[in-house]
Amino acid sequence: MTNPILKDSIIVADSVEKIYPNGCHALKKVSLNIQKGEVVVIIGPSGSGKSTFLRTLNQLETISDGTIHIDDINLTHKETNINKVREEVGMVFQSFNLFPHKTALGNVMLSPMKVLKKSAKEAEAEAKDLLAKVGLADRMNNYPSHLSGGQQQRVAIARALAMSPKIMLFDEPTSALDPEMVGEVLDVMKSLAGGGMTMVVVTHEMGFAREVADRVVFMENGELVFEETPDRFFESDNQRLQRFLGQVL
Amino acid sequence: MKKQKNLLLWKMLYVLIMIGIGYGVYASSKSLSYNWRWERIPQYLISFQPTDINAPFDGSVESVNPKEHKIVLKSDSGQTFVVTKYDKAIAHTGDLVFEGDTVATIKGWHLGSISWGLVMTLKISAVALVFAMIIGLFTGLARISHNPVLRYLSVTYIEVVRGTPLLVQIFIFYFFIGTVLNLDRFTAGVAALAVFTGAYIAEIIRAGIQSIHPGQMEAARSLGMNYIKAMVYVILPQAFKRTLPPLAGQFINLIKDSSLVSVISITDLTKAGREVVSSTFAPFEVWFTVALLYLVLTGSLSWVIQKLEKRLSASD
Repeated sequence: MTNPILKDSIIVADSVEKIYPNGCHALKKVSLNIQKGEVVVIIGPSGSGKSTFLRTLNQLETISDGTIHIDDINLTHKETNINKVREEVGMVFQSFNLFPHKTALGNVMLSPMKVLKKSAKEAEAEAKDLLAKVGLADRMNNYPSHLSGGQQQRVAIARALAMSPKIMLFDEPTSALDPEMVGEVLDVMKSLAGGGMTMVVVTHEMGFAREVADRVVFMENGELVFEETPDRFFESDNQRLQRFLGQVL
Repeated sequence: MKKQKNLLLWKMLYVLIMIGIGYGVYASSKSLSYNWRWERIPQYLISFQPTDINAPFDGSVESVNPKEHKIVLKSDSGQTFVVTKYDKAIAHTGDLVFEGDTVATIKGWHLGSISWGLVMTLKISAVALVFAMIIGLFTGLARISHNPVLRYLSVTYIEVVRGTPLLVQIFIFYFFIGTVLNLDRFTAGVAALAVFTGAYIAEIIRAGIQSIHPGQMEAARSLGMNYIKAMVYVILPQAFKRTLPPLAGQFINLIKDSSLVSVISITDLTKAGREVVSSTFAPFEVWFTVALLYLVLTGSLSWVIQKLEKRLSASD
């Protein structure tokens, strides 16, 4: 390989297998290398294993075989403290999963205070900055139930960023949103990508993939079928990919 | 909310029914030709009888000084005992006194035996409640743990406790466990109540935790919190809020169940009531009073919990 940044792999998944106790074979020998600062978009039909794969990257989903290294730390090694790894890997969920008993500000402050042991003052100042960055400076003291879906998802992004992660995982972040709110969330993600954040995004937003991704990955039936830069990806004549794109576009 | 039509009429009907019930009680007591003696009850709640000051030894009264409210007693062996505050002197200078003789009385009020029973009920319920919450919380967590031993143990505990009567448990705690561990009645009573209520609270807490969306745990864990932190800061506060109504019911049950500890001779509200009945021969009045006092306890508890619920609902 001639690409110099390849040395900077931050996520290395090697032959990852996931078999659920009920026998469902969710991931079949999935290998993927992601560089520092790279934005990788994973697409594929539902049930293809893309969300499962994303969730193995911070071990919300354990793997049956293979290895995953994040920042040179082997996730499945016995002595790895997964909580330490998770501090560096932020995750944004389809259903936001904001803490309903905390305000927007409280959601963002909680983990920096309890995990990183920051003082309330410091955590609050940082949280306010982050919420302002995602455009919610005027909604800080609202509870999640008083925020729209798009606003909630932006709080969720701020909450993940509050841990100053090196990697951000997005699990279909716009799928649960009303169409008019998709844009505001994608804008935040775009500016994050522009800031050099390493991102792995599972999404159905082809426009986002085309515009922001450095690389697009297509998964089907638990297999990683195809990966390419966006230009070549959408021009590809791969049969399975063409069939899928024909269905969604 | 839709406005109820003829609300006033319905309220009047309610009042009418309540008056009817009251009259029914009155009429049935009439038919028993029962003599109501309510005047005998207040002294068992609060009493203004003067308190006696007794001589601590055999001896004589050396001096009584009404101006300084001072009585000096001297024992046969030379000890002195000085009363510095009294309202009415009974002994006179030079009197011979024997141990236990009343030398003076002091005015004031003190709680009657029913009130002491109420205090005891409150004390037992409060202590048992704290321990029941602790037991319930940990058993509830053990019940959903991944460790089979913890799970089996908690299920066994819950099933055994829920499957046997509290009265029997109190006897077992007092006569068996109490004897083995040398527990006093109060401890045995509190332990029995806490263990009993803990089993129900465990199930309430388990249900509360399981009702929280799994995404909450995932979100907390993905932010780097370990299991315990995620539980303490994310899951339990939500579960607590959700389980407050059933917990309130269980707390009220605890207060009422505490009446059963009277069987091991703890003088709680119920036992105090029984004792007062035997000295006043006014069973109806006493039991109505006791019931009312229980109602005051449980009523204030539900009021407090309702306030708490309202405060926690700020995030809804």
